[in-house]
Amino acid sequence: MYIELKNINKSYGSFKASDNVNFGIEKGRLVALLGPSGSGKTTILRMIAGLEKPDSGEIIIDGKVVNDIPASRRGIGFVFQSYALFRYMTVFDNIAFGLKVRKLNKQVINERVTELVRLIGLEGFEKRYPSQLSGGQRQRVAFARALAPNPQVLLLDEPFAAIDAKVRQELRKWLKDMIHKLGVTGIFVTHDQDEAIEVSDEIIVTNKGRVEQSGTPIDIYRNPATAFTSAFFGVTSELKDYKAFKSFDEVDEYDKAIVRPEFVKITKKTEVQKYKSSAVEGRVETVEFRGNSIEITVSCNGSVFSARRSLDEPAVEVGEIVDVFIYRIFITHGDSVKLLKNNAIREETVVI
Amino acid sequence: MSAGNNQVISREGTTEIHAQTAGSKAVKIILISVSVIFLFVMLVMPLITVIYEAFRKGLIPYLEAISDPDTLSALLLTLEATVIAVVINTVFGLFAAWAISKFRFRGKKLLVTLIDLPVTVSPIIAGLIFVLTFGRQSIIYPLLESIDFMVVYAVPGIILATVFVTFPFISREILPVLEAQGTDEEEAAALMGAKGFTIFRRVTLPHIKWALLYGIVLCAARAMGEFGAVSVLSGHLRGKTVTLPLQVEILFGDNKFMPAFAVSSILVVLAVVILIVRSIVEYIGKRRGEK
Repeated sequence: MYIELKNINKSYGSFKASDNVNFGIEKGRLVALLGPSGSGKTTILRMIAGLEKPDSGEIIIDGKVVNDIPASRRGIGFVFQSYALFRYMTVFDNIAFGLKVRKLNKQVINERVTELVRLIGLEGFEKRYPSQLSGGQRQRVAFARALAPNPQVLLLDEPFAAIDAKVRQELRKWLKDMIHKLGVTGIFVTHDQDEAIEVSDEIIVTNKGRVEQSGTPIDIYRNPATAFTSAFFGVTSELKDYKAFKSFDEVDEYDKAIVRPEFVKITKKTEVQKYKSSAVEGRVETVEFRGNSIEITVSCNGSVFSARRSLDEPAVEVGEIVDVFIYRIFITHGDSVKLLKNNAIREETVVI
Repeated sequence: MSAGNNQVISREGTTEIHAQTAGSKAVKIILISVSVIFLFVMLVMPLITVIYEAFRKGLIPYLEAISDPDTLSALLLTLEATVIAVVINTVFGLFAAWAISKFRFRGKKLLVTLIDLPVTVSPIIAGLIFVLTFGRQSIIYPLLESIDFMVVYAVPGIILATVFVTFPFISREILPVLEAQGTDEEEAAALMGAKGFTIFRRVTLPHIKWALLYGIVLCAARAMGEFGAVSVLSGHLRGKTVTLPLQVEILFGDNKFMPAFAVSSILVVLAVVILIVRSIVEYIGKRRGEK
């Protein structure tokens, strides 16, 4: 493990920002710290950077405990949510700052800054001030400034939060490629799961100061380990009484039954439904066009939840009575989560 | 038919807006004239009177009055106290504003309140506090006497009083700017390995430069005009512990009206100079801000 956090605790007064946090990150990976606001993800980032001190526990970077090494000597690049560009310095001076502080000679600084300006595609903007740049350009300058002293670790706090949707898409891909190309180890904080899934190699899900789960995006999506992750990841809706849906095992004690749109199949009465005997009737409440699919909310056995249909399938209308079949349900109890599969599918595989 | 209707509607609309404009015009005239009359009675007329009285007997008596040795020494003392107060309060103001805006600590609110105290406390009381603290009845008086350092009825007392009365001015100007800026830029600089002083010089100072200059101007203006606290601590030793405002009072008390107005005119000129400097600072600051 290149970066390791061991039993980290941190409180602000009575607020527990980090509650026994443990995780490890391998060299060269780009990791997302994902969680709702107030879940302690930024605190973790600031502690790794050395901007905050943990109350207890160890932070290890490259085999060394860095708790007592000041922020300035940890060799970490940090991109702030607000970018924190020096507003009275030009783009050139911003990027050169970390190098000038190191008292490198002028020619080396010039070469490095020119190289970085080219890397971020802002040639010709060297003499501009941050206030004369767009959000996306500022973000890239902040990125170049953090990278200038050749850090081994790059930390990014909500790097895309202040950028409009279209530019954000481009920047996400750009950032991912760039970090892999440079071979630095990156950690970024986000509350946007799409962003985490799209950009990161690995996701660490935080909630209430604790690490809920870590793993590859697909692994977390498929196999949520805790009640929180199962409800937080993906678009989720809750079923009031899952036992009213046919062919599921009975679970005695449970708190919530959660479904995602991809767990639900909606068929018109005129269409063929292989598991018709296990489907129940529902009423279409809303139909919304989502660009690449149709999102349908359906009320069924007293619950309202959403499902998707392809654009190629015949359209359903609001108020229409349809067949609803559920493939899988997440059942939570306390902190744990269990995946229930519809027995109708299993029986069929047995028959075949 | 429908076109006619439209016309009526638009005409009615216009009348309504017109009536509104007329209403606000009356309000505008009243507001402006009240302000102008008030300013004229309270400010312009007294200023004209000062200048008029100062020159009533002609230029030569005026020059004689202001080149009086006591007056010149009062001018020097005023400038001395002002310069020292500005230097001390700049340092103190920077430190206090920095501490308040950049750190979390216990008693921060109390510190902010205490900084404002000199504005709320009457200068006479401030003067009395220092007399009691450093005067004959004070416990530290024997110590001060043994090192031959007199505060009350001496120049240090005058400087002390001036510093006390003017110390909120600079920190009060810088504080909002520092608070609005936050600590991100400083943190970014620190993460790149910059030391405290480099961070201050390269990141913080460019940001507060104009607020600081403005604070210095205000502080200087207030320091020159200070009367109450200085009056209590001065003892009115002519040619020794008398500042310009005190000199005016002495001359006035001696029924020497023309010289009193002549000395006042020096203070007026200094105030006008400071106002001009202030406007220039404000103008440049604003232009930089827009860029």
